[in-house]
Amino acid sequence: MKRLALLGLVAAVFALAACGGDDGDGDGAAGGDVRGDTVALIEERGALKCGVTDTLPGFGFREPDGSFSGFDIEFCKAIAAAVLGDDAEVEFVAASSSARFELLSAGEVDLLSRVTTITAERDASRAVDFAQTTFYDGQGFVVHADSDIYDAADMGGATICVAAGTTTEQNLDDFFNEQGLSYTPLSGEGSEPQDQFVARRCDVFTSDKSGLAARIASLPNSDDYRFLPLTISKEPLAPGVRDYDSDWKDVVSWVVWGLINAEELGVTSANVDAWAADPPNTAVARLLGVPFEGGETADLGFAVDPQFIQRALRAVGNYGEIYARTVEPLGITRAGTLNALYTEGGILYAPPYR
Amino acid sequence: MAELPQPAEARPPGRVVLPPHRERARRPFADRARDWARHNLFPSRGGTLLTLISFALLVLLLCGVIWYVFFGADWSVVSSNRWLLFAGSFPRDEEWRLWVGVAVVFFMIGVAYGLWSRFNRRDLLFVAIASAFLIFLMAHGGAAAWSSIWFLVALALMFGGYVVAVRIPRDNSRLRVRANRIGIALIALALPIVLLILMVGGGAVSTDFDGFVLNVILAPVGIVGGLVVAIPLAIGRASSLRIISWTCTAYIELVRGAPLLGWLFVALFILDDVIGGSLVVRTMVVLAVFTGAYMAEYIRGGLQALHHGQDEAARAVGLSRRQTLQLIIMPQALRVSIPPLVGQAISIWKDTSLVSVILPMRELKGNADSAIAQTEFIADRIEAYVFVAVIFWIVAFTMSRISQRVERAQGVGER
Repeated sequence: MKRLALLGLVAAVFALAACGGDDGDGDGAAGGDVRGDTVALIEERGALKCGVTDTLPGFGFREPDGSFSGFDIEFCKAIAAAVLGDDAEVEFVAASSSARFELLSAGEVDLLSRVTTITAERDASRAVDFAQTTFYDGQGFVVHADSDIYDAADMGGATICVAAGTTTEQNLDDFFNEQGLSYTPLSGEGSEPQDQFVARRCDVFTSDKSGLAARIASLPNSDDYRFLPLTISKEPLAPGVRDYDSDWKDVVSWVVWGLINAEELGVTSANVDAWAADPPNTAVARLLGVPFEGGETADLGFAVDPQFIQRALRAVGNYGEIYARTVEPLGITRAGTLNALYTEGGILYAPPYR
Repeated sequence: MAELPQPAEARPPGRVVLPPHRERARRPFADRARDWARHNLFPSRGGTLLTLISFALLVLLLCGVIWYVFFGADWSVVSSNRWLLFAGSFPRDEEWRLWVGVAVVFFMIGVAYGLWSRFNRRDLLFVAIASAFLIFLMAHGGAAAWSSIWFLVALALMFGGYVVAVRIPRDNSRLRVRANRIGIALIALALPIVLLILMVGGGAVSTDFDGFVLNVILAPVGIVGGLVVAIPLAIGRASSLRIISWTCTAYIELVRGAPLLGWLFVALFILDDVIGGSLVVRTMVVLAVFTGAYMAEYIRGGLQALHHGQDEAARAVGLSRRQTLQLIIMPQALRVSIPPLVGQAISIWKDTSLVSVILPMRELKGNADSAIAQTEFIADRIEAYVFVAVIFWIVAFTMSRISQRVERAQGVGER
């Protein structure tokens, strides 16, 4: 009898654990590949499940209190605010790079926002669709602050530290062949290139920009180094959604484009309330989903209500604000890079919101 | 042990002569120390050289460690990330639940120690050093006085449990038998009780288990669940019914044949359709299934180590097959298997760090990876990982000490 009671207690605890999980899982019973209406799924669950990285400085990591933080995280919050009206209703799921696409197709996450490069292979053969790119990464260069290298042309004859056996190394070779310049590669494993660069055995250190910035930021005197305004490979990082759900992909893409348009139009988290009450022009009114001078609110037919971009802006601010909060502190300046607005020399060119 | 010179004329007349080892103990300490050093440290020219080299290396290592710990390292990555490393996404308002859980576990350890072990100065030293380390960690950086107080309360409960339990006489009285039963029940129910404390009445949900909390929830399930799976498997594998022994063998070989990482993938993508439930529960199932396969083999080893006379004698005095197994065979087989079983337990404790590699869950090591992605701590990766290693070591070493106590109490290795 006593044993039975013990067994019962143990069983009850595990049942409790299982139920507790179902609160968070929502579609736990659905299993298998999930297809269909993700927006409705999120609304029903009351939370957005966002697959993120938790180990990349500036892009996705965890704060001392356990909360998530970074560039990719801000887009999760923006989209949660857009769909649910509350940027706190995000369930962050730390998705390893090896399991990320499976997590998406199995319905464990609704959205991948974790520095995923768009490639043809992924788009074609994985169950993932890519929404609008949020960050154009690429291979960059860093030099010592007192160096007289300022541009690609100055690198002729330079010694360049690079990680051995990577695409970075091949890109470097292609780039210099194209430019008709000579250089001396100094390749090494792991942190060797960085150490050799710090010891001034080479003039230039090259790697992907986001990782490069993190490595330089980790050095004790990070002010002694300077990034070149040069990017030689294409690494467009974009949010991923499940295949066959255009409504959801539209929402995600247009939150990204909306935040870029907002920057172009000068809408910020500081003035969004004032401008929503009294929009200065029709473009801002359309973007915020409010009527202009007694007119009607335009409903463009998204799966969410017309004010979704307004809510995203209120939660995280426009693209420039997100960038300044998360990526800028790593030392990756924005001006003159691909991630500047097209009006400022970059390639951020959002289609008109109308 | 070389014989020491015992000149006869040095012996005062009329003095009682003791056996050699007592006689040696009578000599002045300085003499004994000199002889000990000569025999153990400087026995020959080569030995002296080796001693000097080892001593120099030891001093160098010690100096290096001390320099690193107190001057070279910047521990702020650990002190400011205490919550992330230990609890992560556990709801902050429910912190008291964690501490009550810690207090319960400490109390149980104290009771178990008092019931089945004897006071040992080295254990006390280990507890003192580990506690000092943890209190130092919690006091470092301020704003966590409550944590230290909670921890001290838990320690006090541990000593209280010990003091009460150690007073129970070690005989065959009814009180003793009952105390033993309560002790075993407490240990078996430790995890369910702690889970109840953490979850019941608006506490945490299973997705909140994060950081070190996740490690200490997963590992015991793997160990206890593994044992529960392993015992019938071991008996079944030795069964004379082919179908049973083949099934058990197939299970063991199949599960042992694939890496734990692979089984974790199964927990993530396949068990979802089979048993459903939250990911933590699925992971628990996989850990128990995986550990069970290994433990079954260790227990089978224990079964085979028993002389068949044990079985025959038990049957001869009229015990049934079940009684023989329950009263004669299993207790002895399990006792023989304690060392490898504990090895497996320590192994699965460390393997809990693998969940961060595959699953969308983060335990202590995974959260350390995240802490060093914070911009201000990018340079402090070594400190973070050293800290994680120390925490894993403290728990593993505690398990190893407990197993040594159990072995001694059970008389393993004495026959």
